[in-house]
Amino acid sequence: MASAIRLEGTAVPRPTWRHAYLTMTGWDLAGLRLELPLIVVVQILSGIGFVLGIGLFFQRIPAQVALYVSTGVVVLNLILVGLIVGPQNTADQKLAGTYEYLRALPVPATAAAGAWFTVALIASLPAAVVSLVIAELRYGISFTITPSIVPAVLLTAFTGTMLGYALSHAIDDPMRTRLIAQMLVFFVFGFSPILYPASQQPPWLATISWWLPFEHMATIVRAGLTTGVVSGIGRSYLIVAIWGIVGTALSARAVGRRA
Amino acid sequence: MGPILDGSFRAEGVTKVFNGSLRANDAITLHVEPGEVYGLLGPNGAGKSTLVKQVIGLLKPTEGRITLGPYDLVEDPAMARQLCSYLPQAQMPIDAFKTREAIRLTGRIRGGDGAAVDRRTDELIEALDLSVWRDVIGAKLSGGVKRLVGFSMVSVWPGRVVILDEPTNDVDPLRRRLLWDEVRRLGEWGSAVFLVTHNVMEAEKAVDRLAIIADGRLIAEGTPSSLKAQDRSFLRLQLMLVPSAATPTLPPFVMHHTRVGHNLVTTIGQTDASHAIAWAQEQIGCGVAEEYALGATTLEDVYIRLTGHVSSDDGEG
Repeated sequence: MASAIRLEGTAVPRPTWRHAYLTMTGWDLAGLRLELPLIVVVQILSGIGFVLGIGLFFQRIPAQVALYVSTGVVVLNLILVGLIVGPQNTADQKLAGTYEYLRALPVPATAAAGAWFTVALIASLPAAVVSLVIAELRYGISFTITPSIVPAVLLTAFTGTMLGYALSHAIDDPMRTRLIAQMLVFFVFGFSPILYPASQQPPWLATISWWLPFEHMATIVRAGLTTGVVSGIGRSYLIVAIWGIVGTALSARAVGRRA
Repeated sequence: MGPILDGSFRAEGVTKVFNGSLRANDAITLHVEPGEVYGLLGPNGAGKSTLVKQVIGLLKPTEGRITLGPYDLVEDPAMARQLCSYLPQAQMPIDAFKTREAIRLTGRIRGGDGAAVDRRTDELIEALDLSVWRDVIGAKLSGGVKRLVGFSMVSVWPGRVVILDEPTNDVDPLRRRLLWDEVRRLGEWGSAVFLVTHNVMEAEKAVDRLAIIADGRLIAEGTPSSLKAQDRSFLRLQLMLVPSAATPTLPPFVMHHTRVGHNLVTTIGQTDASHAIAWAQEQIGCGVAEEYALGATTLEDVYIRLTGHVSSDDGEG
């Protein structure tokens, strides 16, 4: 029998936040079906590349360096999808003209952001695990994994994703979004104390790094994987969380904005 | 569940000014009842899309109110998105989605119940003759089929207002007819359907009422017949000119004319029919025109008279 939808006189459907979140997660996963396997593979390869490649700088890699690199790579794995793939996707949507359709869907901005965070996390975790396994095999590091790794991973990925999300939505011009996202990634790779301690940076750069979230992401992830290597963990959690909130607030403002 | 809703769609004095000076919409007032298919016609850049983007909450009016029953859509854009479904003029983001999946997921996102959405999805695929592409991803579909999938995504779990911006672009003639049947069904279910187009001939058959918008203002509104009524005493004389021929000097009885390519469309009074035929034959005789046609005025003539534009795609520019 054919459907007969009656609209007049009936209640307006108000899907719950949970419904919106789950259906949007399904939408994002299906929408990334062609890219997702590739993203995961590239992430895994880049993780392995960092772990093994930096070892080649040294004839005998110092234990401390191996530990910093191996744990720092996990942070890179956790934030790169949110920082690069997110803005890239949104830029593509804006260029293709599909962005407005997505904004017109009856989905709360927080549910859409939550869905994207979930997908970014799914795309990031395999590489993070593989990087750790490779590091253990190559350098014989035995990580002491504590339960605090769970909030550390979630908060790091969340803040990375939300900063990328804010870039995607708060900047109108998609080409500019792409450029800034790429420059940010260069900065994160080269000039953020993620793979090495901040004490190796010139003091002025170390000061800048201290106010940014990336060093602190490395601190909290390292705290979940090692013992006695890092300090000031509570402060680092706070700073990463503040950046996560800033990213979320900027995103929420940008998504809700009507010209 | 939200509250019970009955009532019509109203835009009152909607004005949208960009950059402090460009009036994309200028005091547009209109109302649409549930079940009505309402055409928004006008040349490119007339302000049609600007108007619907304010309805859906993508733009905020500079002045004016937009309401649906008791709901203020400007004040509550989240409610606007729930109440309205929107097919933009641009392509839909479905490259990675299979046809059935894209329609189904949108129905679910819009709040439809799983089994009902599944059933409705299959019906739409059947009704629009899309079965061959049921499991094909969007990237492999032609523009016209993508458009039909987009239409299905918008109408699988329709809002109280369904906004269709050029829904038939690239769609083949046969499936256009199927699409119009489905548009009609949305009306029967109680949606107010906005059809945004610059294709007048198509709109004439599909809409209950229409508004003609030009330069941001609503310049005419009514049923297709009522809009044609005032032009009923006129005839349309169309001349196919010889390529490269200049527009001939027009006799005084020609009230209005437009030239697109080799096509010269003129409006004349009924009483001038015999003079007009003689003049047209003279133009053929002296090698300026190849053929001519004389007929009743259409909605298109009304549109041309009001906007100074020809409606078909190749008439733009």
